[in-house]
Amino acid sequence: MFRLMLTTALAVLPLAATAQEITVGAANMAPYLDPGRDHSNVGSQFYYNSFDTLIDRDHTKLEPEWVPALATSWELISPTVMELKLRDGVKFHNGDPMTADDVIFSLNRMMQATFPPYVVRAKDRLANFPEAEKVDENTIRIHANREEPLWETLISLQQVMIIPEAYTKALTGDPDVAEDSDFEAFALAPVGTGPYKIESFQPGEKLVWTRFDDFWGEKAPLERVNVVQISETASRVTALKTGEADIITNIAPDQLSLIDNDPALKTAGSATALFHVMIMNQNHPKLKDPRIRQAMSLAIDRDALNEALWLGKAIVPSTHTMAEMGELHQPDLVTFEYDPERAKELLAEAGYDGFEITYDTAPSYYTNGVLAAQAIMEMWAAVGINGKIVVGDKWTGNSPDLMARNWSNPMYFADPFGSFGVMWAPDGPSQSEGRFNTDEAYAETWDRFRYSTDVAVRKAAYAELMERVKEDPAVLPLYRPFESWGMKTAINWAPMPGHIPYVLDFRAGSITLAGS
Amino acid sequence: MIPYLIRVAVKSVVTLFAIATITFIATRLSGNPIDTFLGDGLTEEGRAELIRYFQLDGSLWQQYLAFMRGAVSGEFGLSFVDRRPVTEVVSDRLWASGQLLLASVAFTLLVAIPLGILGAIYRKSWIGSAVMMVAFAGYAVPSFILAIVMVLVFSYWLNWLPVVGNGSFAHFIMPTIAMSGVLIAALTRFTRNAMLDVLGQDFIRTARAKGLGEARVVLRHGLGNAGVTVISVIGLQVAGLAAAGSVVVESIFSWPGIGQLLVNAALVRDYPVLQFGVITVAVAVVAINALTDVSYALADPRIRLARS
Repeated sequence: MFRLMLTTALAVLPLAATAQEITVGAANMAPYLDPGRDHSNVGSQFYYNSFDTLIDRDHTKLEPEWVPALATSWELISPTVMELKLRDGVKFHNGDPMTADDVIFSLNRMMQATFPPYVVRAKDRLANFPEAEKVDENTIRIHANREEPLWETLISLQQVMIIPEAYTKALTGDPDVAEDSDFEAFALAPVGTGPYKIESFQPGEKLVWTRFDDFWGEKAPLERVNVVQISETASRVTALKTGEADIITNIAPDQLSLIDNDPALKTAGSATALFHVMIMNQNHPKLKDPRIRQAMSLAIDRDALNEALWLGKAIVPSTHTMAEMGELHQPDLVTFEYDPERAKELLAEAGYDGFEITYDTAPSYYTNGVLAAQAIMEMWAAVGINGKIVVGDKWTGNSPDLMARNWSNPMYFADPFGSFGVMWAPDGPSQSEGRFNTDEAYAETWDRFRYSTDVAVRKAAYAELMERVKEDPAVLPLYRPFESWGMKTAINWAPMPGHIPYVLDFRAGSITLAGS
Repeated sequence: MIPYLIRVAVKSVVTLFAIATITFIATRLSGNPIDTFLGDGLTEEGRAELIRYFQLDGSLWQQYLAFMRGAVSGEFGLSFVDRRPVTEVVSDRLWASGQLLLASVAFTLLVAIPLGILGAIYRKSWIGSAVMMVAFAGYAVPSFILAIVMVLVFSYWLNWLPVVGNGSFAHFIMPTIAMSGVLIAALTRFTRNAMLDVLGQDFIRTARAKGLGEARVVLRHGLGNAGVTVISVIGLQVAGLAAAGSVVVESIFSWPGIGQLLVNAALVRDYPVLQFGVITVAVAVVAINALTDVSYALADPRIRLARS
């Protein structure tokens, strides 16, 4: 018994001195913090601790379950208008009370964006919302152009987190006008309503959160969190060992054992809600015949990639879908398969003469990206495709010479519209870069998928879109990479299934420290 | 002396102009910032809008002229990423890098000059051989290997030294040694060789014949004259260190200096930060070189007189 007590005491000891304070060693620190303009994997780590949306979801659950946040209730008062009641007594980190005006300002800075970085973000996901309007001090309305099947999903996006109007406008120039420079200044001195206040922020270097005592909900469990950029993986792992960091981010699969072998340390991880994909250029003169692209796709044994590169921990999808998408998750659809014999037949039918097919990859942007490319070249060779890797930092997705390359399709929000939808919409990024074609039929199917309020219709329409992708492929999702965090055993934290990728959620109920 | 100083100054300005131009072209060749830091999934229309917003839509020539006009008046623009003036972004990092550089130079001098003298005096005994071994080993081990091995031994295994940041004296130990390794190797060898040359000269024999103590012979007459060579080596090596060594070492030790800043800026193609960062380092290198030239001249009247 004494020994048990002693070991318990020892295990808790290193944290006891700093029970309420932790340090996170992050592979990347954001260069700016503005939830509105950001949708990067780096920035996504930080917003949830400091900002709130009107509607939130229960992040412990994979299936969406909406919960009140800055709005206490909401209802559709017409098919295109949602009315929301605002929570009383909410304060911003700078002490200002949150008003209906702040909410309208935050929403309309995106919905009626003029600041170019907002414009581009609003266009791909908030285009159906022309404006938000104030009804009274506690009530606001959000208008939609068309009936919207994804109200809660889109109102809970990081991009429409609430920020203070007067504070933001006063940052530069005229204190009564929202200038572009105000939004740029805000990104260096961000203020929200969340449980952690951003005490200090050095772009690309360091962020310090402190508990916000006036938070409207359950108070933050930690007094202080320091997030420090430690870009080298070896230094990150060492910092965890030496105690300079309590949690570290982005551990590659081959480094996991370094941490798991140490009894004072542990890892937590999950398959990220993001696909590493291979894209193929439908409009390259030599790849116009879809059979060649089908063969490029069918030749790839994605399960083998998963076993070899991710120790089998990644998820290989049968179609462009994720379990996070709730009712729209369609694991039964089979859009992508491994069938080398079929690939050979298709190449023969298409009269492939052995011309070289290039596969572009960035040297380090995607974990295991180059290794996957090398394995894919071998798999292609096995069916007779003459592939060649081109390593370079330059984005080639908009080049007419592109044949194939790697890319990623993150889940920006939990719906196929938030993943496949953002990237492969008619006139979306892929089409506008000239490597993906859509026609009226595609657009019509797309419209049913995006706007129908009947889930069954949306699912059927999505299945049709996947059929189009199968017939004339422009993309192959390879896998959902497995992402890991390392931490001291005394820390009880893990990524929650209800979040978008990479969120460091340190709110009440999300993290506990043994001994505190 | 004055014409000599003018020549050094003109040479420095021309060098800086060339570096600014090369930096401008090199950053433009390496890709577009819009594609790297704004993440995936931008439409062509959105890309065009951002290119306008960040004023990347002019021709390369127009951008170059604007950059040069700004540079002359001290305006180097805003970072594409965090939209602060680059002068502020870089100066925030300057002191951390400067501290590391100073610590490394001081450490190098303290170690390399005594070692070099020992190597020269005891050139025929095992001490001299040991010194040369150390010097060759230092040459052979690149700073990043030295850094990683130290991290493994002193932090990962022994848990004696911290690896992140520049918060205390202990934080300086490993980065300083990593930065100094190659420099110590070079300077030890040069000091030894210069001392050997000088100690074989007639005036040293004269000094000994006058009955001066050996310490005085070696330090005053020997090192005093070997100093000219040593100064030039220090200058060149320190300049190289400021430019290159810090990038790797700062990344490994998360040192909040210019090297780390440049790596991050290069990854996201933050042209203004890259340009100004490289120019700042270039100014440091050129200044160190100019100082070397001048002190070389001061230390050796022959150079001063011959050149003017």
